[in-house]
Amino acid sequence: MTSILETKGLCRAFGGIVALNNVDLAVEAGRITAVIGPNGAGKTTLFNLVAGVYPVDRGEIVFRGTALNNVATHKRTAMGIARTFQNVLLFGNMTALENVMTGQHVRSRYGFFEAAFRLPKSRREEETISLKAMRYLNLVGLGMHAQRNALDLPLGQQKLLTIARALATEPQLLMLDEPGAGLNTLEKRDLSDLVRRIRDMGISVLLVEHDMDLVMGLAEWVVVLDSGQKIAEGTAGEIQRNQRVIAAYLGEEEE
Amino acid sequence: MLAKVRGRAAYAVIVLLLLLVMLAPFEWFLARYTTLMIFIGLNTMLTVGLCLLMGYTGQVSLGHAAFFGIGAYFSAILSKTYDVNPWLAMGIGAAATGAFAYVISYPIFRLRGNYLAMATLGLGLIIYILFRELGDYTGGPDGMYGIPYLSAGGFVFDTPFKRYFLVWGLCLAMLLISQNIVRSRSGRALRAIHGSEAAAESVGINSAQFKMKIFVLSAVYASLAGSLFVHHLRFVGPQPFGFLASVMVVVMAVVGGLASVWGAIFGAAAIRILSDKVLLEFGELDLIVYGLILMVVMIFLPQGLFVGLKEGYARLRLRYVRREAEP
Ligand SMILES: Nc1ncnc2c1ncn2[C@@H]1O[C@H](COP(=O)(O)OP(=O)(O)OP(=O)(O)O)[C@@H](O)[C@H]1O
Ligand SMILES: [Mg+2]
Repeated sequence: MTSILETKGLCRAFGGIVALNNVDLAVEAGRITAVIGPNGAGKTTLFNLVAGVYPVDRGEIVFRGTALNNVATHKRTAMGIARTFQNVLLFGNMTALENVMTGQHVRSRYGFFEAAFRLPKSRREEETISLKAMRYLNLVGLGMHAQRNALDLPLGQQKLLTIARALATEPQLLMLDEPGAGLNTLEKRDLSDLVRRIRDMGISVLLVEHDMDLVMGLAEWVVVLDSGQKIAEGTAGEIQRNQRVIAAYLGEEEE
Repeated sequence: MLAKVRGRAAYAVIVLLLLLVMLAPFEWFLARYTTLMIFIGLNTMLTVGLCLLMGYTGQVSLGHAAFFGIGAYFSAILSKTYDVNPWLAMGIGAAATGAFAYVISYPIFRLRGNYLAMATLGLGLIIYILFRELGDYTGGPDGMYGIPYLSAGGFVFDTPFKRYFLVWGLCLAMLLISQNIVRSRSGRALRAIHGSEAAAESVGINSAQFKMKIFVLSAVYASLAGSLFVHHLRFVGPQPFGFLASVMVVVMAVVGGLASVWGAIFGAAAIRILSDKVLLEFGELDLIVYGLILMVVMIFLPQGLFVGLKEGYARLRLRYVRREAEP
């Protein structure tokens, strides 16, 4: 097995709060890896560092053999890293289809000039963009809502739409931040199916999720963070029996 | 259904608009208003640039008249003082304004929201003061007279009738280009930045670069309008490039509809007619009237006059169509 993403000694603090402390992580290619941990454990921060939203304080992020530390966010997307957000962040000024079309931004070239004069290149690319976007929209089951405003959709479909938008960047690594939050049982089952299908497309999935049933049913490898530290990793079965993990979660429940 | 009618409504409105624009300066139609219409055309150029920047990309500029002024003074000084061909002067002005916008976009777009508004406001004021104080070049508060007409071959744009078609030809070209951009990959990128900058970056949009590009484009639009402005009046002074002018462009953009390319014509026309034909009575109070208009439009027609009219028409049609369908 080769890893698609590795972090070594990753550190990041916000003011006095240490969000991540010395985290070593390896995401194996072609598999679903889950990151779990109590609130404030540093899961979203991990995503933000990998995506390049903030710089790291210390440590290294390596994606497919390339160090990412000095690579801008939008370039990381072009390299094959896509993500969704815990707080959804759809483009409210666009239809569902247009939201997904933005995902094709890095896979198309034409710019202001070609657009301004509607040169053949712009029409050709635009056709491909909308065709592919429609395909991703259908993949997550939202084809019939293509022309609706993104924010008119219910939360469950909004979350699927963000996944379609991320997929439209044609990533090798897809990071999903709490895709199950706010979904009902039925929607969660559909979500699990979708994530497996994405994995079967050859895309490695890194998943942050609080719903343990969802995580244990999906993840082939589980990493546990607590207060910015990695406290355990292993298969779902191993993690469920791990005393430190149980203690961390019990500690949270006592609060 | 509604979307379809709406699309057709927009088309009808645009065709009517084009017809009006084409026939307006003829003797038997609106010739009396040719000069007013020229100003509306120039204002539309400024407004559509600001719509791209504010309405689509979500970046405020309260100093847009500065770019209008830079184009105007470049044209005036080069063509009058240095005898440069007016078209070349216009091109140099546009290139210089674009370069200037490019350079200041780096510090200015580190800022967001209110801070960006403040910075652009300050920029506008500084440029305005430079126009007044660099008297050796600009003629200071008194301005410069005797700027030559534009001409092409032996054809001189020496009557308002001729200049009308020049201004509106260029104006419609800018509107068309803007519309094409808005509906393209780049247009989506701009709207994505408006929607959520974090999400835009996450799909690989280089938000800093797109903000810079649209800022430069809108500055170039304004600069070209400024050049045409001085070759029309044959005079330039600092007054039309002050704070009030920048505010008026914002009001025009809001009234026409911030996120509407064709609405720019409506906004520019409404405010221009108001300020030339009505507000002269109000003297210094006109700023208050603009403030009121801004508030009223924001509250009752948040998408602007153009979209408001379009929706109104679509709703009427729909009611009509429904009545037809009833047995
Ligand atoms: N931009 C920021 N500025 C300041 N503090 C931050 C920032 N981002 C995260 N933090 C802090 O870092 C810590 C880790 O936050 P993070 O969002 O990564 O947690 P999380 O594991 O995703 O939690 P949750 O399950 O609630 O989403 C928290 O204490 C949080 O308050
Ligand atoms: Mg989180």
